[in-house]
Amino acid sequence: MFSHLLKLMWNKRRANSLLFLEILLAFIVLFGVLGFCFFNLDRYNSPLGFEYENTWQVELDIPDDLDSTGNHQLQESILREIGSLPDVEDVAFLGPVTPFGGSTWRSGGEHNGQNISAMIMFPDEHYAETAKLNIREGRWFVAEDRIAKTATMVVNKAFLERYGSPGGSLIDTIMVYNGIDRKIIGITSDFKYHSNFARNEPLVFLFDRYLDEAEDPLEYLTVRVTPSAPASLEEDIYKRVALLTKSPDVTINRLANERVQANQPITIPMTIMVIISGFLLINIALGLFGVLFTQINRRRSEIGLRKAMGATGGEVTRQFILETLIVTLGGLLIGTFFAIQVPLLDLLPIDDKFFYWGILGSIVIILTIVMICALIPSRLASRLHPADVLHEG
Amino acid sequence: MTTSQPTISTNQTPAGNAMIELTNVGKAYRTDTIETLALQKMNLTVPSGEFLSIMGPSGCGKSTLLNIMGLIDEPSEGTVSLAGQRIEGYNGNAIARFRNEQLGFIFQSFHLINDLSVVDNVELPLLYRRMSGSERKRLSLEALARVGLSNRATHFPNQLSGGQKQRVAIARAIVGKPNIILADEPTGNLDSHMGDEIMDILLKLNEELGTTIVMVTHDERMAKKTHRLVRLSDGERVS
Repeated sequence: MFSHLLKLMWNKRRANSLLFLEILLAFIVLFGVLGFCFFNLDRYNSPLGFEYENTWQVELDIPDDLDSTGNHQLQESILREIGSLPDVEDVAFLGPVTPFGGSTWRSGGEHNGQNISAMIMFPDEHYAETAKLNIREGRWFVAEDRIAKTATMVVNKAFLERYGSPGGSLIDTIMVYNGIDRKIIGITSDFKYHSNFARNEPLVFLFDRYLDEAEDPLEYLTVRVTPSAPASLEEDIYKRVALLTKSPDVTINRLANERVQANQPITIPMTIMVIISGFLLINIALGLFGVLFTQINRRRSEIGLRKAMGATGGEVTRQFILETLIVTLGGLLIGTFFAIQVPLLDLLPIDDKFFYWGILGSIVIILTIVMICALIPSRLASRLHPADVLHEG
Repeated sequence: MTTSQPTISTNQTPAGNAMIELTNVGKAYRTDTIETLALQKMNLTVPSGEFLSIMGPSGCGKSTLLNIMGLIDEPSEGTVSLAGQRIEGYNGNAIARFRNEQLGFIFQSFHLINDLSVVDNVELPLLYRRMSGSERKRLSLEALARVGLSNRATHFPNQLSGGQKQRVAIARAIVGKPNIILADEPTGNLDSHMGDEIMDILLKLNEELGTTIVMVTHDERMAKKTHRLVRLSDGERVS
């Protein structure tokens, strides 16, 4: 029967060419959208590595005219004052590179002849506790590291994977980074701060306790509050910080909101693409319905004939579903041929698996829709009575 | 619409060698307001190997009778026995199988599938049997040879004349080696020369294979070539 239907569909290839083209185009679009979605969802699934719920970020304005002692005293006072507020669980200073802030500070170095390139953040010794970082190896900074003989740094897992030896450790390794020798004292788990969709890139935490590498004071506070913290806490923080810094320039943002905004460059186009693809699939479904209903109306006498010749209702249903599947599989086969060129020829710098998932996902979605759309008209065809339809044509 | 389960009873074999036996068969078409009687109290026995023709004016129930014999329509009353088997249900797979194995159909308008070649059209009934593709093809070519169309096997229906199309339809009707062939005005769309050709083929099939043939026709000349003629009028048998 299958070879009979193949012949029939081949002989009707002109009539089926539009349906074939529609399936092919839908596959290509769906493949692109699914590949994009799978790629980004994979990134989304890799953890940020820090706490953003119930975490506020306070941007403050430390006076420029303070000497280093005055600056240290002011920062300690701010930590003490904010930390003492009810509903504040932890508080830490952070340099100009902040989670979801959109800024990047990148520097390089060298180790055993290997060039090192990584992003930098400037936390204080309280940041790991405040942001709930997971230290997988070694330790986080302590205040004494500021005066240690060799400068210290903590790196993330991506740094270890990029620059460490397989299965080895980088703890106590001394490497030149950003111009001076630094000893790695700790390695965090995954840590990425741009957004959930950001790549896991090598990152280095550098520590001076009060200053960043440009010797500017750390001007961001990370404040972790209790889940029941009232909105008035924002006002308390604002007042105390403004009083201590003698500046009204204090901005308080919730990291959870910042995260949503930081994700938007991906979530908005992804949503638009999914909606467009959804409409495309609805269009295909309606098109299929229309084509099948028209075909069945045109082929009523053929259906009657087949039933008179001994076809059961189930066999008629199967025939129409198989015919639709043959056209669909033709479109999917050609579509897969083109789609598979992307990973095979390395046309995009993205892991091949996302393209294969995209191909598989597109095939499954299109086949499912086609099966559902083919089933109803095919079942209607199977109910045609030969005595009625054989005398029509 | 019947809700009875499709069954074919074999324990009520009709007397003698009757291939088709209709007993008190009636057919009524009902709408909300009108009941039309297409057939009334029809009793008819067709012995095995007989070539029977049915005549009557338009709307007298000839095609309805043929449809009932072909199990593609269900009588409102009465019983139908074919090839020694009493038919008791009309909607199931068993009836479809029975049609496939026991019955061959020839239609006035040929009902060939234009997107299939001649040989593929002929093998149509065999698709619904468990059979290899090569066996199907062999039997189809054999049937085409019997109607003298071997050289047209790869042609398409729109490349054939009316007479050739009907010969393809005959080949399709006999390819499954059915006991009964039901022909609904097989020469109705053909000129007299082609009609004679088709009639000769049917007569030869009847003689050589012993196939029972029931033919509905408007053509008295064709009807006279058959073994017996039954006339209908207003759904009733008049001779």
